[in-house]
Amino acid sequence: MALSDHHFSRNKYARRTTIWILMSVVLFFGAWPSEAVGQKRFNRTYPATKNVRLTLVNRSGTVVVEGWDRPEIRISAWLEAPAALVVPQTISGTILVDLVRENQGRTVGNVNFEIQVPRSSIVDIETRIGNLSVANVGGGFVRAVITSEGDITLTNIAAGSVEAQNGIGDIFFDGLIRNGGLYRFSSMKGTISLRVPIESSFKLVATAPSTRSIDLGPFRSNNMRFVSDGRRVAGQSGEGAATLTVTNQRGNIAFLRR
Amino acid sequence: MTCEECQENLSQFLDDEVERSTSESIQTHLSVCAECAKLCEDFAVILDSCRVPAAEERTPPNPDALWRRINNIIESEGPAPDAPPETRKRSVRGYTFSQLASAVIGIALISSLLTIVGTRNYFEPSGEDSVSRSRAEETTFEKVLSKVGLIESPQEARLRRLQEQQAVIDYWNKRVMERRSKWDAHIRDAFDRNVREIDQAVSEYTIILQKDPQDELSGEMLDSALTEKVNLLRAFSEL
Repeated sequence: MALSDHHFSRNKYARRTTIWILMSVVLFFGAWPSEAVGQKRFNRTYPATKNVRLTLVNRSGTVVVEGWDRPEIRISAWLEAPAALVVPQTISGTILVDLVRENQGRTVGNVNFEIQVPRSSIVDIETRIGNLSVANVGGGFVRAVITSEGDITLTNIAAGSVEAQNGIGDIFFDGLIRNGGLYRFSSMKGTISLRVPIESSFKLVATAPSTRSIDLGPFRSNNMRFVSDGRRVAGQSGEGAATLTVTNQRGNIAFLRR
Repeated sequence: MTCEECQENLSQFLDDEVERSTSESIQTHLSVCAECAKLCEDFAVILDSCRVPAAEERTPPNPDALWRRINNIIESEGPAPDAPPETRKRSVRGYTFSQLASAVIGIALISSLLTIVGTRNYFEPSGEDSVSRSRAEETTFEKVLSKVGLIESPQEARLRRLQEQQAVIDYWNKRVMERRSKWDAHIRDAFDRNVREIDQAVSEYTIILQKDPQDELSGEMLDSALTEKVNLLRAFSEL
């Protein structure tokens, strides 16, 4: 009888443990799907020529673009619920993805992109909200625009011209300044950091009217003048072969040696 | 005679081109029919007025003398055949030297004005257009032109530009307000934060410009901030 009681209590304990384990598993996978099931995945690969152009207009979410050595563009996107419509178009050498136009008037979730492009591609990306990141690209032009909030990170860029613009957020540029190129960085509030080689040749107009915080770092020289009560720096480095315009309405500007 | 017969022959009757018997019948009818009598009277008045020549058509009392007077006037307005040789020398193809000199000065003024405008547009960086230029940067020529009202001063240009931008902002603001209710909370918050930031910058520049209207950098930054606001509103009105 005692053995039987003991056996019964052991069975009872095992059953209770099993129930707890099962409930934990159910709870774990029950709580997780709200994210996992809510997200949709989009994958597509396009053959690309050397000077292909990628134009992406996102509503909200992060965009990461990386250069690679393959002659193709791979677009991967994670779509949060309610899922946005993603309809890439190929128009005479341009891969165009415009989520604003495709989803106008709809309530949609964030769309996070990871895109690989040939290194010599022209990259033109824009989003209303979210971070933008471009790396290892050296085509004719790189443009990254955030209409409102988000950071822009441009690393190992060797493009002929670069434009980066955001509202609230930081801008970081690490790359080369090509002779004859136009480089424009503009922010409403945040820090603009430019990491370029010391031998770079450019004409500079850097303006930080509110903070007057313009740190020229290794580019401080007699060829650079602080004007308008220190709110602007104008001058040139080297022969002044490229044009560099940096404007930060209510933030700082800093130059770093690459 | 009936009224119809009477009215048919009325014109000939007034011209004395009807037979005597018909004429007598018409007269008899006219004496008893007031309507036809009235018509006959009107007809007669019209015929009389046609027969009397109009005042304009009357020939002048002495047409030869009138023609001579006109001829004299025409001849007196033409070039005098006995003009002195100096006057002839001073005109080239019918233009006097004073006219030619005025034309040359006019051309020189216009071309120098075009050169100034062209050179300025070519050399100036895009951020320093006429809107953001200070009074100190104006040339004497431009100052004179703005004094006489031929061109607008940098301050006037800035004011005009601000008014234009404000109108554009109002337009896009309306569009945003129509769409705003459909946005997510995080989009709405981000939009509001950015608008606040821009408005704060605009307010700062406006205060500086009120103290120093000739601060070109603040003028330029104000213009830039307002352009940012337009871009922000336009971009979010598409959502």
